[in-house]
Amino acid sequence: MLDFDLGFISSANADKVYDLIIIGGGPAGLTAGLYASRYKLDTLMLERAPISGGQLTSTQWVENYPGFPEPVLGQKLARDMEAQAKLFGLQIVSEAVTEVRLEGQVKEIQTDYNTWKARAVLIATGASPRRLGIPGEAEFSGNGVSYCATCDGPFYPDKVVAVVGGGNSALEESLFIAKYARQVYIIHRRDSFNADPIIVERVKAEPRIELITNTVVDRIEFSEGLERRIVLRGVTDNAQRDLPVDGVFIFVGQIPNTKLFEGKLTLEGGYIVTDHAYRTSSEGVWAVGDVRAASLRQVATAVGDGAAAAHYIHKYLM
Amino acid sequence: MPMLDDKVIAEVKKILANMRDPVTLRMYSQEFECGYCKETHNLLEELTSANKLLKLEVLSFEKHEEEAKQDQVDKIPAIAVIGAKDHGIRFFGVPAGYEFSSLLNSILMVSTGVVKLTSDTKAFLDYLKQPVHLQVFVTPTCPYCPGAVMLAHQLAFYSDSIRADMVEISEFPHLANKYSVQGVPRTVINEKWFLDGAAPEAQLVEKIKEAL
Repeated sequence: MLDFDLGFISSANADKVYDLIIIGGGPAGLTAGLYASRYKLDTLMLERAPISGGQLTSTQWVENYPGFPEPVLGQKLARDMEAQAKLFGLQIVSEAVTEVRLEGQVKEIQTDYNTWKARAVLIATGASPRRLGIPGEAEFSGNGVSYCATCDGPFYPDKVVAVVGGGNSALEESLFIAKYARQVYIIHRRDSFNADPIIVERVKAEPRIELITNTVVDRIEFSEGLERRIVLRGVTDNAQRDLPVDGVFIFVGQIPNTKLFEGKLTLEGGYIVTDHAYRTSSEGVWAVGDVRAASLRQVATAVGDGAAAAHYIHKYLM
Repeated sequence: MPMLDDKVIAEVKKILANMRDPVTLRMYSQEFECGYCKETHNLLEELTSANKLLKLEVLSFEKHEEEAKQDQVDKIPAIAVIGAKDHGIRFFGVPAGYEFSSLLNSILMVSTGVVKLTSDTKAFLDYLKQPVHLQVFVTPTCPYCPGAVMLAHQLAFYSDSIRADMVEISEFPHLANKYSVQGVPRTVINEKWFLDGAAPEAQLVEKIKEAL
């Protein structure tokens, strides 16, 4: 069955001062947008992708978000969250923010196309996949090296694929890739996994998946004309060996999207520091979801952050 | 069974209510040996019935060889989105999943003339004389792909020198081989230059300059 997704036409106005601008349209931003719109705050969301949902859109299944006893497609959950927020009047504009001016009564958020203004700003820029930083990774990104299983999993029917990482994302996406690939190797630098035990059990029961623990990837050699392979190294014995694979998926954690806020807000390990009311170090600026220091970085916690922050912002603006 | 359910149709009608000038979707199809021609045809029938300004023209890929050649259509299903003139906007493969947004977006752009490009980009395009062919390879489940497709189509709309194709790669596996596509979106510029991922406007423009 074919599925159809709808774009969005906005009637946003760059001349006026909004009550609230939300930067980033993942679950945290969308929930804040829903709540803020219901508080009748004049709210604008800036999302760099034409599709809202953030990392949710590149997640195959979500099965730990309450209310969905059957696993729900990440892309469907994202679309429904967006539809719900828009139902109550949230405006979404697909523009990437290039510069922010957060001091003063009226904040200015600049994109390539407009300078948007608001009395309050909520940062929900989330995080991006962390790179391994090994030779061959950047070179073959998009050509055998991927960070998105829903995007690129279908390129490996009956192929051999390596997945690097040991957390929930690595293991869950391996199960998805194993629907296409005939063999999936999960390469993890430790001997135990950080993923939820229920997912580890499921991975271990999948005959197409083989676990290679205490091992790191040293380089990716996908040059044309040669057999594609990655070079593995044992963590304990330092012994190197080749593993022929057709592709590599990398899920080794996240890096926060905070480049815009360096030197402007207090950061901790790159993440934005907030107080109990999600306030940042700059007045009138809040932060929620994965970008916030001390976040659990789950859909459920992002949603909680967004709802609570909208409440505090509403009180602040009243 | 209809392709679009009532809820989607209602939403489509709302979006298309923003149309100003008529738009023709010219589809190339054939009866046999075309995986998604039937689905694409049904989809476009339903879509074009959602607004009077939207027209559907269906041509046979075998019988209308001349027209196909003129429209630079070399594979099917193909859709050309045509307004007052042909801007070189093409969709190859069924525009399902996230690419349905790309199709609606291009219809609105052609109908209203509204593009969202920076003045730097426009300045470059105003003087662009060499032909540029952009092919954006996508899968329907790729959330980052419509960004790349919409950008390429905007450039094609603005500049007469540029034509831009969306190519749904799973329907054309030989092209995946030819352009070694193993991740989407991948934008191919004039056959030999590549750009991976949903790159910002300035980056694509830089890459086009390199390719010239």
